[in-house]
Amino acid sequence: MKEPHILSAFDRDLEAVQAYVLRMGGLVEQALLDAAEALETRDEALAQKVQQGDKAIDALEEQINEECARLLALRSPTAGDLRTVLSVMRIAAALERCGDYAKNLAKRSLLLSNMSPLGGTSASILRMARTVVLRLKEALDAYIAHDVAVAQDVRTRDKEVDQMYNSMFRELLTHMMEDPRNISAAMHLHFIAKNIERVGDHATSIAEQVIYLATGAMPGDERPKAEMLSGAEPAAGR
Amino acid sequence: MTDMSAGGPDIRPAGKESSLLAGSARTRARNAREWRMKAYGIGAIVLSLSTLFFMLATILMDGVSAFRQATISFPLTVDAAIVDKAGNRNPEEMAKVTTIGYKRLLAQGFVAHLAAEGIDTAGVPEKDLVDMLSDDGPARLRDMVLADPSLVGQVVEVSVYATGRIDGYLKGRVTRETAERDTNVTPEQLDLADNLVAAGLLTMPFNWGFLTGPDASDLRPEASGLGVAIIGSLYMMVMVALFTVPVGVAASIYLEEFAPKNRLTDLIEVNISNLAAVPSIVFGILGLAIFINFMGLPQSSSLVGALVISLMTLPTIIIATRAAIRAVPPSIRDAAMGVGASKMQVVFHHVLPLAMPGIMTGTILGLASALGETAPLLLIGMVAFVTNYPAGPLEGGVMDPATALPVQVYSWASRSDPAFIERSSGAIIVLLVFLVIMNVAAILLRRRFERRW
Amino acid sequence: MMDDMRLVERDVTQLQAKIEAKGVQVHYGEKHALKDVDVTILDRTVTAFIGPSGCGKSTFLRCLNRMNDTVASARVSGKITLDGQDIYDPRVDPVQLRAKVGMVFQKPNPFPKSIYDNVAYGPKIHGLARGKAELDAIVESSLKKAALWNEVKDRLDASGTGLSGGQQQRLCIARAIATSPEVLLMDEPCSALDPIATAQVEELIDELRSQFSVVIVTHSMQQAARVSQKTAFFHLGNLVEYGETGQIFTTPKDPRTEAYITGRIG
Repeated sequence: MKEPHILSAFDRDLEAVQAYVLRMGGLVEQALLDAAEALETRDEALAQKVQQGDKAIDALEEQINEECARLLALRSPTAGDLRTVLSVMRIAAALERCGDYAKNLAKRSLLLSNMSPLGGTSASILRMARTVVLRLKEALDAYIAHDVAVAQDVRTRDKEVDQMYNSMFRELLTHMMEDPRNISAAMHLHFIAKNIERVGDHATSIAEQVIYLATGAMPGDERPKAEMLSGAEPAAGR
Repeated sequence: MTDMSAGGPDIRPAGKESSLLAGSARTRARNAREWRMKAYGIGAIVLSLSTLFFMLATILMDGVSAFRQATISFPLTVDAAIVDKAGNRNPEEMAKVTTIGYKRLLAQGFVAHLAAEGIDTAGVPEKDLVDMLSDDGPARLRDMVLADPSLVGQVVEVSVYATGRIDGYLKGRVTRETAERDTNVTPEQLDLADNLVAAGLLTMPFNWGFLTGPDASDLRPEASGLGVAIIGSLYMMVMVALFTVPVGVAASIYLEEFAPKNRLTDLIEVNISNLAAVPSIVFGILGLAIFINFMGLPQSSSLVGALVISLMTLPTIIIATRAAIRAVPPSIRDAAMGVGASKMQVVFHHVLPLAMPGIMTGTILGLASALGETAPLLLIGMVAFVTNYPAGPLEGGVMDPATALPVQVYSWASRSDPAFIERSSGAIIVLLVFLVIMNVAAILLRRRFERRW
Repeated sequence: MMDDMRLVERDVTQLQAKIEAKGVQVHYGEKHALKDVDVTILDRTVTAFIGPSGCGKSTFLRCLNRMNDTVASARVSGKITLDGQDIYDPRVDPVQLRAKVGMVFQKPNPFPKSIYDNVAYGPKIHGLARGKAELDAIVESSLKKAALWNEVKDRLDASGTGLSGGQQQRLCIARAIATSPEVLLMDEPCSALDPIATAQVEELIDELRSQFSVVIVTHSMQQAARVSQKTAFFHLGNLVEYGETGQIFTTPKDPRTEAYITGRIG
């Protein structure tokens, strides 16, 4: 990476907070995959494990915040070091949200396990979750490597998740229109899909942090979006 | 709070255009004052330099001639009939012949040689002819023969000082007009001197005798020299250095590093400073009272001189040494204390080596000023007329009567014969050369030691 | 794991007390410079003293190796123990104490001697080395500990004053650790150095922590934050707050500490 600091303790501190973030990223990725898996396989134990696991993620975030505050107070980082600390804090916040979504997914999967399955939707959810986790992983890898190209790629490919969400939305709408008894399950599944789509957005914002970290500026161009706002297109079909 | 810094009265003079290119009246006045101050300084330096130059020029003009002396050289047969009547070359019997005999021998040889050379001695009676030779000559000839009795009967080449008047004539001090009024010299003798110069008998060689010879009486200024004074000054300087450096450095170290700060040490400090300002003649009286009257040390001896000068120099050396010790940065002391050095180790490992250049410079300058000191030496009798060299330092020479360079200057300057004026200026030149050597030594030592660190 | 290591590194609760000060008061003549200070300085820890000028932090530091003894007007009362032994006991020779409690000063002050002699001086006067070979070994290891060896190993005979400021200060540190002290006192060791040299000295201090207990007085709060594990804040001769450095700089308990470290009182 870069030249080490003369004061090696500074490097150790910086590496430590970044290691926390990566560990947190790993936990969040696993939680998301487990939750989607639990939904697909109706595995209540796994869903409960995910719910429990969120505490660890929250604790990690708190610890990262504390470490960053310490780092800011004790080492007064500047330039790239300052951006590192700031991006670590923002990434940690994003990951914490993702962790919450995973927890929410697990909670809803527990509810859904008592309802009849809705066609192949849970498999789609799992696919969507996998795609999102891949984005998240790529974003964190880009963060480790300070790789702007990969981060840019993550940003542009957020469209894919948005499109998956859109098709999911239509599918659920169809189910609800077919049989009003499906509405409850479909609503849960919709929230799940929406949350996973949100995780994709967080992955994008992590990628943006990578660009900020590497270049010192947030990407200026409008972030590519394929998600329909206020349900414009499906509403037309209604 | 914040509007305070923004507000405040406008201090720029209202309505006045201030251009950077046109200086204001204030600035011009200030620059003029600065220029005047500089001019005063330059004036002061020019004044002191020209005074110094004038002084040195006068001394050099008066004194340089003292290093050359009119000398008459001629061959001479050492007549055994005069110097060795018994004819047995026995030095003890030969020693019975006084300088009067040798004077006759010298006169005889001189007249014979003049006749042989065919130099016109018209108008100069033989007595005047012989009087042109210094009274110092027979004594020297006697010493020569007694030292080497084999010379008896041989022809030897002798060089004899001409008398002070002839010397003065060759140096332009004596003219025919003054010679007419002078009982010691006649114009005819001066004519003869011219002839002798033409014949190459009378020359002006460098006069080593001026540096090595003892003092001589008013009757023969041409023979007087600085030998005794130089030895006396040398003895004194060595003794002063031996007395003052250990005492002065020890006292300074104690006062600077160990002494508690209280009224007693304050009093001592004030007294040391005051002692340095006490007129030197007072030390002379002190020396006379203590060393000569009370302790019974011999008068005029270089030992007593050195003791008196030591008393006088000690305060200077203590002040210089203390200043040098104080100039050692405290951080060095802290550093040494910090690694656990004791007070002694701090002083001897760090403070003294660092202060050494300063101590040595101060000491040498103190010695240099002591070298030029006259007044106290007058009081302890070192102004005496001393014609015998003091013995070597190990044979108790420090107890022998001696004189010192500045005292010699003083005593020559007070004699009547004008030849001594030239010699006292010459002595001043010698003294100045010694002072310059000491100062240069001080500078070199300081440089050398400073470079080491 | 990296992060766990940081926690262990910062955990000072397990360490033993090296110096304990109880009710220390210092008067300079009429001036009451230090009022009733209680501090426990831990072994293998960097303890920083911060505070405005004239707050007594340097005074207290100088009590710890009795450098105040050299100031005639200073009077010290209270009790300071090093490993349980009272250092102000009349039987204690300050010279011996200073070999155990080394000191580095504000301005780099190498002796105007060779680099080798600078480092060898302490061991020589304390008779720590038998023979030249042993002395050489001490000099080498001290210079290595002070991270100076590689820069000066080819010119040990060169004058210590010819080094750069940062090198001089590291030479002074080498000189101080050559007597194998147990505590190293540093009185604003970086105030005369440029930022790079400062960083080098700070890094060195961090490394020295594995062997010595380091007490550092500093004007720079940032420096205290960077190098120390424990920080003591002095104000007007009082010890206002003493605690873990991160805690002092993020959540100080005393409003005066907060005001000082945020730049509201000087």
